[in-house]
Formats: sequence, C-alpha cells, structure tokens
Amino acid sequence: MKKSHMASILTFLLLVPATLYLGTRLPGRSYYITSTLIIIELMIPFFLAYEGRRPQARELVLIAVMAAAAIASRVAIPLPHFKPVFAVIILSGVVFGPEAGFMVGAITAFASNFFYGQGSFTPWQMMAFGAGGMLAGFVFQKKGLPRKPWIIAAFGFLTVVLWIGPLLDCSHIFLIMSKISWEAVLAVLLAGFYANISQAICTVITLLLFGKPILEKLDRVRIKYGMTN
Amino acid sequence: MEHFKIENLTFSYPAASDRTVLKNVNLTIQKGEYIVLCGKSGSGKTTLLRHLKTVLTPHGSRTGQVLFHNTPLDRIGSGEQAARIGYVMQNPDDQIVTDKVWHELAFGLECLGCDQQTMRARVAEMACYFGIQDWFHRDVNALSGGQKQLLNLASIMAMQPEVLILDEPTSQLDPIAASDFLNTIRKINTELGTTVIVTEHRLEDIFPYADRVVVMKNGEIIADDAPGTIGKYLYEQKEELFLAMPTPMRVFYSAKGTGTCPLTVREGRKWLNRTVPDELMVRALPEQPVYDVQQKPVLTVKELWFRYEKNGPDILRGVSGQVPAGSLYAIVGGNGAGKSTLLKVLCGLNRPYRGKIKLFGKPLEQYKPEELFRNGVSMLPQDPKSLFVKKTVREELLEMDTDEKRLEQVSEICQITAVLDSHPYDLSGGEQQRAALAKVLLTQPRLLLLDEPTKGMDSFFKETFASVLQKLKQQGITVVMVSHDVEFCAQYADRVSMFFDGQLLSTGTPRQFFGANSFYTTAASRMSRGVFENAVTAGAVAELCRLNLEEQK
Amino acid sequence: MMEQDAFGKCHPAVNFLFFVGAIGFGVLIQHPVYLAAGALCAGIYYMLLHGAQGWKRILQLLPLFVLLTLINPLFNIQGERVLFDVFGRPYTLEALIYGADVAGIFVVMLLWFGCYNRILTGDKFTSLFGNWIPAISLLLVMVFRMVPGLMGKSKQIAAARRSVGKGVGTSTRQKLDAGMAVLSALISWALEGSVVTGDSMRARGYGTAKRTSFQLYRMTVRDGLLLATMMFLGASVIGVAVMGGMGAEFTPRLQIAPVSGWSVLGLAAYCLFLLIPTAMHCKEALQWSISKLKI
Repeated sequence: MKKSHMASILTFLLLVPATLYLGTRLPGRSYYITSTLIIIELMIPFFLAYEGRRPQARELVLIAVMAAAAIASRVAIPLPHFKPVFAVIILSGVVFGPEAGFMVGAITAFASNFFYGQGSFTPWQMMAFGAGGMLAGFVFQKKGLPRKPWIIAAFGFLTVVLWIGPLLDCSHIFLIMSKISWEAVLAVLLAGFYANISQAICTVITLLLFGKPILEKLDRVRIKYGMTN
Repeated sequence: MEHFKIENLTFSYPAASDRTVLKNVNLTIQKGEYIVLCGKSGSGKTTLLRHLKTVLTPHGSRTGQVLFHNTPLDRIGSGEQAARIGYVMQNPDDQIVTDKVWHELAFGLECLGCDQQTMRARVAEMACYFGIQDWFHRDVNALSGGQKQLLNLASIMAMQPEVLILDEPTSQLDPIAASDFLNTIRKINTELGTTVIVTEHRLEDIFPYADRVVVMKNGEIIADDAPGTIGKYLYEQKEELFLAMPTPMRVFYSAKGTGTCPLTVREGRKWLNRTVPDELMVRALPEQPVYDVQQKPVLTVKELWFRYEKNGPDILRGVSGQVPAGSLYAIVGGNGAGKSTLLKVLCGLNRPYRGKIKLFGKPLEQYKPEELFRNGVSMLPQDPKSLFVKKTVREELLEMDTDEKRLEQVSEICQITAVLDSHPYDLSGGEQQRAALAKVLLTQPRLLLLDEPTKGMDSFFKETFASVLQKLKQQGITVVMVSHDVEFCAQYADRVSMFFDGQLLSTGTPRQFFGANSFYTTAASRMSRGVFENAVTAGAVAELCRLNLEEQK
Repeated sequence: MMEQDAFGKCHPAVNFLFFVGAIGFGVLIQHPVYLAAGALCAGIYYMLLHGAQGWKRILQLLPLFVLLTLINPLFNIQGERVLFDVFGRPYTLEALIYGADVAGIFVVMLLWFGCYNRILTGDKFTSLFGNWIPAISLLLVMVFRMVPGLMGKSKQIAAARRSVGKGVGTSTRQKLDAGMAVLSALISWALEGSVVTGDSMRARGYGTAKRTSFQLYRMTVRDGLLLATMMFLGASVIGVAVMGGMGAEFTPRLQIAPVSGWSVLGLAAYCLFLLIPTAMHCKEALQWSISKLKI
C-alpha cells in the first residue's frame, strides 16, 4: 500500500478519534483547539496524497498561478469589498478537477494570509476554500453538471452561503462564546449572514460576467499543456 | 571534442504538418565554442535551440537526431541534462520560480537533490562570481529586469553546465543592462570555457567575440562561418539579414570597402580613416527639414512637475516642450528616468501638480475622458500584453470599434490581416506589438503616444513597424515615442529630445542631436566622429564614404 | 523585507514552537491569573514589534473586548447572581465574568497572531517545512513570488486600458465591467507566463530526483538551548495544569483554583515561556545602547 494511503487511513481511524477523545477530557473550553486540530488532520491526507504522487512542474505552476490570481484578483476590481477570490477557485476546480480545486483553494487561503495576516481562522479558511474548490471539481466533472456560467454561478452562490460562510463563522463561535448553545450558533450565523450573502453575490456576479471567458482561457492552457482531465 | 552533433534534423509541429520548421539541419558544436545563431523571427532558431534539451523539445514529427557527446540526447537522463545543459530563455520574469534571490540560486540544486554542503558552496560561489551578494536576501520582485536575467543566468550556472544555451536573453532588457549581460556571457565563455550558443538580435555586442555565426532561413542553415565572412556572404546574396549585422560591417560592405571587414566601432574607425582621403570633399549630409514649431504645435507642455506620492521624489521637474503637428517625436534617455511617467501625464492618466499641458490648443484638464480618448490621444503601452483581453485578435479590435471597414483598414496598415483570427498570445512579439497598435489606432487618435515600441523586436520587425509609423504620419497623425533605441530614433524620428533629471534637454533633428552627442549616440555616429559631421546611421556613413571616394576618382 | 528582531533572527523552529505554545496555552488555559499574565506578555511584545502604532491597535481591540464581554451572558444564562433580565432571560454576574475571560482570551490570541505575522514570514515557514512537504512548500514559494507580480500587472493593465479610453467610467456597473476586463486579461497573462515558468522548472531538473531543501537558517547551539528551555517550561506548565493548578470554572458557580504553593511554579514557568522573545529583544537593544555608549 502507498505511504499516502496509509497516512489517510491512520488519520481517519486513529488521529481524529484520539483528538476527539482528548478534547472531551480537557477541562474548560477546549473545543476551539479540538475542532481546529480535527480540521487540520482532515486536510493532512489530501496534502500527503498530493506530495506522494510527486506532482509535475506544470501541475504545480498551474495551481500556483491560479492561487496567486485568486489572491491578486481583489486588487483588480476597483470596487471596495468586492472579492472575486472564491469565483476564481471554483473555476479552477471546474476546469482542472477536484484535486486541483482543493489545492488551489487551500493554498489560496493559506498564502493570502501571509500577505494579509494569519489568524485563528486560517485552517478553517483553508478547509472551506479547499473543499469548495474540490466540490466544484466533482460537480462539474465530465459526467456532471454542464459547465454553463449560470449553473456555475448558482453553485457558487450555494457553496458560499451554505458552506464557506457558515464554516468560517463556526471558527468564531468556538472562540468567542463561553457556552456553545443553539441560540449562540444561530446568533453568530445570523450576524454573519449579511456578509455571507454579499460575498455570495460577488461570487455570482463574477462567475456570470467572467465565467465564460475564463473557462475558455483555462481550457486553452489545459490543451496547450496536453492535460486531458 | 564534439559537444553537440545535429544530424539531418527535420521537424514540423503537429498542427501544421505541411510546414516544416526545421529542414535537414546539420550542425556540429565543439567544446568551448561561442556560437551565434541568427535569423529572422520565425526562421526556426528557437525550435532548433529547444531540440538541444529533451524536456524543452516541442512535440511534433521529427526525423534525424541530436547527439550529445556521441550519445543520442534523449537517452541521457533529464537530471543529467538539467545539470550539463543550461538554458536561459527570453522573458526574465517568467523564468523565475521562487520568491527570494537565494532560493532561486539554489532551486536547480534542490531539484537535483544536492546535499546541504554542496549547495551552500555553489550558491556562495555563484553569488560572488555574478556580484549578487548584495541582493542575496532580496525579494525577486524588487529586482530590475537586468538583475532578474542575471539571476536566471547565475541560477543555471550554479549547476555548472558544460553548455549554455541562450534564447534572445536580452530582448527585454534596456541597452545598458543588455550589454552588461552579454559581457557576462563572454566572461563565462572565456574564463570558464563553457560552450555558448546564443540567439540575439543585438549583434553589435556579440559579433566580435563569436567563433562562428550560424544563419538560419526558413528552417534551414544557409551559412555557418566566421563573423567577418558571414557579412560578405549575406551582402552578396542580398539576404535581408544583412540589415541586422553590426553597423561597421554594414558600412564596410555597402561602401564596397576592401581589406578585412571591421566588426567593432574601433576597427570601423580605423578602416574609415584608412579609406577616406584626408581632405574630404563632402563632410556632412544636408540638414534635415526642421518642423516649424511656432505654426501648429499639437502638444505644448510648460513647466510640468509631477510626483507619485506626496512625500516622494519629483519624477518630472519642469518639463517643457512642443510637438509639431505630423511629426515623429522621439524622447530618449536612461532607464527609470521617468520617460514612461511623462507619457502617462501627457495622456491624462496622472495629473501634474504644477504646469500646463495644451493638447490641440485646449488645456488637457478641460477634456472629458470620452472626448480625450476618442479621436484625441491614445497610448500604446510598453507591454502589448497589457491590452489583450479576448481570445482572437479580431475580437480585440471589435472591443474598440465595431465598424468592420475601419477594422479592415487598420489591420491592413498594421499588417496583421493574416493573423486576425489567431489568439493574441500565439503571435510573435512584433505581431503582438502591431496588434496592440491596431487596437490603439481604432480610437482614431490624432496624437499617438508610444512607450518603448521597439522593445524585443528584431531589425525586420522594426523596419515593418517604421513603415507603419510612416503611413500614420501620412494620415496626419502625430507620434510621440519614448525609447532606449537610439538606432531606431536616429533613423526614423523627425525630432529627438533627451530626457534627463526630470526635464527635456537638447532637442534637435536626429542629425543635429546624435551628431552632437559623443557617448549617447548611435554606433555609426561613434564610428564616423571626427571624420564626418552628422552621419548618424550606417546608411549615412556609407553614403558619405561613397560620395568622397567617387569625388576622388 | 522587514528587519527582524533578536527573536526573529532565531531558527524558524524556535519561532514556530514558541507561537504554538503561546497561542495554544493562551486559548486552552482560562484561569484569569494566567490570562492576565498572557495579556501582559503579549501586549508588551506586540508593542515592541509594532512600535508607536502598537498602542493604537491595542486600543482598537478594547471595544471588541467590551462587546464580546457583554454579549456572552446573553447566551450563557447559568450563574447564581442575577444582575437583571434580558428578554425574560437572566443576565448573571458569573456569565459576565466568564464573558470577560473569553473575550480576554480572544484578544490575547489576536495579539499573539499579530506578533506571529511579523516573525514567522513566508520564507521561514517554507524553509521549516521544506523537507517534509517539498511540493507544497514549493507551491507556497511560487505563490509568494507571483502575487506581487500579478498585482503589479493588474495595475499595468488597468492603466493601459485607461490610456486607450477603456474603463474610465465612474458608475458601479462600469467599474465592475472594467474590473472584470482587467481580471480576465490578468489571468490570460498569468497563464501564458506559467508555461514559461513550467519550462524553466523542468529545464532545471524539477522532478528528476528527490528534492532537497536549501537551509538558509541554521540551527545553532543557542537555538538548541532555546528549544530545550521552551520544552522544559512548556512541560512544567502542562504538568501543573494536569495537577489541577489552573482549573477555572465560571458558571454556574465561580470555582477558580488559587495560585499559591506549588502552583505558583506553573505561573512562573508560563511567564518565563512567554517572556522569551521580549527578553531577547530587550537584551539586544540594551547591548546596542551599551556599545554605543562605549564609543
């Protein structure tokens, strides 16, 4: 068996339950640390698998370029608070597949925080963006949904509102709340709702206006590189 | 000993299998040789060079073979090839992989799996040899283009290759950085004995040092000889490539000189002194027409002051001048002097904090943007890529103007009709520049601003580009260009100004301007200084030689 | 590049372990005395690193602290001493104190992250993990390299388009369209450049052997001693915690372990651990001023 597979299995069977167990044994409010550790542990297999198969130069460059473009994209649009970051990640996932989608998302989150500041939210953001990009890859793969801008836009809206936003909000709940209760969760989610919706709208607008030309550009490079996925 | 042996190499790309890019190429490269490969763009130079390294070899149908030390190249592992064959590409920026200078130097060694100690020693050695130690810890983004290309070279030399292949390494650099770079290459060749194979269009700097010059045309090698003899062949065969030869050589053959052909300005001067009689009949060419500035200046600027930040240094420090209608006005000057900033101020992108700009007789600030950029002023940026958004050239042009007829007209003027349906990024550098120009022209400007338009162009593209500019001038368009390219300005501009220390100094016709300068001037002017008075192009020097020699007879 | 202070010049492993400890302990330990010690240490180091601006940012955190403190009791109704009712739910003193504690923990964590971002720069992180995750480290390094370049290009594209009269509109819709065009051009440019970057990597032997990683930062004896000290202090803190010296329950009833006797050792170890960067910073500053005096 491959080393990376072993690592994944070990993570799922041992590391995660062990962390959960330890987390419940710790006194006080250890859920932030526990949950963050679990988030990190869940990402480890993906990273190890990627390392394990020794990615080629062009795969590496494409992921780096898309992540860098996602980070730089917020400078490109002369409107305050308009961040097309997630739209770029989704499009990478759609064109280059689930694995690349995950990597672009996770690396975008991690690397952008080196420019704008790391925080307690970093692992959560990596998970949120990475899984979002991966999901885009799965949903729009060859036999999946058609790659129409409005379908991708709808997908983008739902992922931001239902997955990315709430996940990031959760990382705050664990930190700022003394007791986790349904009311507290609901309050934080509601407080973040407006911001999430506006993020989602940015993503939708970007995907609608910009989806088609970018898909064409990415496809062109994919063909130029001779990548078949 | 033979390094490379190329035997009967024929190659064509899969997409266009009827067009062979390389035809029956045979070439042997000895150890320690310095070989210059020249040819028009599209003659197959890059394709040939890429065949000398397996990972870069393009896909397509191929016959013949490439031997490296008598072994077929593709049988040598890519790790070994990486270390033994160094390859420097054109674009200084895109070749850099990592974010720090030290990391970039170590990158190749990391890939080859070198141990820590070897890496440290090699990296230190390279940093010292190339004078990089002062910027060893810097971000690569903080480097200038010349420094970046030097870094690319150093990081390849760190792997200690036996052969160094360079594909137009200086085309994106300013003249000073380019000649520094080429000097470093020569140093590597003479001091370390590394074999060098280089394609270049800045031949003046490398011709004198080359062992052999290989000339390609339409995928074939048409000549392979010592630099001095190559000129003769090209002149006699009436090859277009003759235009790309160094100035002294061109003068020598055009004036039907005798003896050994001069390669450098120094040799050129010697030859000129020997050839022309002491008592000259004709010393200078007639003065060029001076545009009547007073009558109708298209653009007048008075005392422009500009800086980017409130507490930053002033970039423009009292620029004053007038651009006569219908002229080609060239502004020359060093790198980073603020020439591009001046253009941005002239088209209203940046506002000066003091001074006046009058465009077509009306103050610039009174124009509305729609008015200014429609049938007014327009600028061609330094990098044509910054104007490309769409997937074909035609769509690019349609973005500016939907009128089919104008589109056709403009693409004809710019000579891009054949590539209208290509992707802008599939064009060659010269074509990209002209496609971008077409885009700019569709705003129907009366004043056209060009920022380093000849950067990266070979001499043929420059000629084509000059003819495009001539046509525009005939249509009454005034052109202002900033450039490092003194040769181009000397040949085609109507007026030339020097930009220095934030001001425009010493304006004149090319003959006046370059004739008066003794350092910052063309090779022809340096070569004929003291003999002739205002000969600033190879053509002019040859003409004066001929006139004097004929008189003698 | 920002100049690094004495602690920042240590081996990245030292930096990394310190922040793992400081942030980890900071979030896990909710004992108010430890929290106060953490706040003090984090605040001092934050100000040493950020200079005059540090004050301002710390003051900006105060409203956040107050807000979080006041909000918490709304969701945590346990506690014995009811202050008043909100929407028919009790608002208790214990919950308020707990809220202040949680808000304090949050603020301390923000301060530590503020220091982390100054100290553990991208190149330190990648050189620390370069041997374990070579591909991902390289990926990060490439992103660090590309981002400033692309930002510059995006400005260049916007300027080039404005100089041909594109994207000069001022309405939101026009700005949006202009931005999309820039973004689209940017991605094209970046992708085409990536072809060259990929070639350059392969030409230099990427993927031909198992990658090694050039270590710019060398582990010195001092770094080793620091690591050992940090681990010893950290273990002491954990030891005291396991023995219950840091227990603190707020609701329903305040139950805070007294810091006395043997458990003072835990506090001492915690403070010593957190003061390592500050001590190094001050020692360096002192040495310089002394050597200046001598001149």
